Amino acid sequence: MEKKITFESVNCGDVLPEVRQLVGQEVIWQHAAGSMDYNPVHNNPEWCKTAQVFGLPVTVMHGNQTMSLMCKVVTNWAYPSGGRMKRIESKLVRPVPVDTTCIYGATVTEKHPIGKGLDFVTLDIWAKDEQGNTVGVAEADVYLP
Amino acid sequence: MGYLEEMAKYQKSAKQKEFGADFLVKEDIDQYEFWDEIEIGKESELPDKFEVKAEDLVAYAEGVPDTNPIFYDEEYARKCGHDGIVAHPMFGTQVGFFVMRKGHGSWIRTPGARNPGQIIEYFDPIKVGDILTMKIKGHDKWIKRGKYYMRYMTETFDQRGNLKIRYYVTLILPRTREDVMKFLKGEHALQA
Repeated sequence: MEKKITFESVNCGDVLPEVRQLVGQEVIWQHAAGSMDYNPVHNNPEWCKTAQVFGLPVTVMHGNQTMSLMCKVVTNWAYPSGGRMKRIESKLVRPVPVDTTCIYGATVTEKHPIGKGLDFVTLDIWAKDEQGNTVGVAEADVYLP
Repeated sequence: MGYLEEMAKYQKSAKQKEFGADFLVKEDIDQYEFWDEIEIGKESELPDKFEVKAEDLVAYAEGVPDTNPIFYDEEYARKCGHDGIVAHPMFGTQVGFFVMRKGHGSWIRTPGARNPGQIIEYFDPIKVGDILTMKIKGHDKWIKRGKYYMRYMTETFDQRGNLKIRYYVTLILPRTREDVMKFLKGEHALQA
């Protein structure tokens, strides 16, 4: 079992371990199956050549897959200690074309000492491509034991 | 092999196998709601239910992709302080697409839709054995920089009436039925 994260052990400014993911078409297809979001902008390379929803002739990653990978930073960090998500609010600012590698990370920005079982921290989460372009940001509240 | 056959390789759960993966069926799109027809304040309780099976939670985690054992291993998840295997925080996406496939809320499937970001609030954790139902309500629609936004409030409950998640689904949609029908044919139909 990993070292336990607790509300007491966490401080504002703490940086969470990053997650890295290459998003090829197989990864997008598996996300489509897992989420049941079969929109052709993610799944149908032929359709994307002409439809160009984002002005690109290729498929793009699901926005909710970007959110899922931002959440992965949180679940890797807090869930093995019994933490769980309270709220997440995201902005997806740039489409992610197929075959892009992205990096996801987060920083603790606030501590909310509400009471046992209700204490939570707020995180700023980011997603960037390998060129350093921000593709998404989020703020999440996370209950910690 | 076509893209539908490629995706079929990943459809392992009973719900995945039953759910139609082709979002370019004209007869389905004819029944969708379009941005200029969406009524703010209109609400309904959707007729389809979603009984949560372990394979559904696993299917979502595999699709992230995320191999954390809290999503797969019940004993490990309980040792971590959870009440059985955990639903990934974005699992509500699978529930939403499953129950909003026709009628009210079917705009979620629109070809040409774009995702500007989402807001989700979590209450009672989703668990294996929950039988989920969803209430949805038109919350807001707006035009910004030539793009047509809409936001719906969805609330998911279990069979005991416990609120599980409140999910403000936000999308940028093509404005009209005609615009969506252009996308059906693979034509670009956005002005911004």
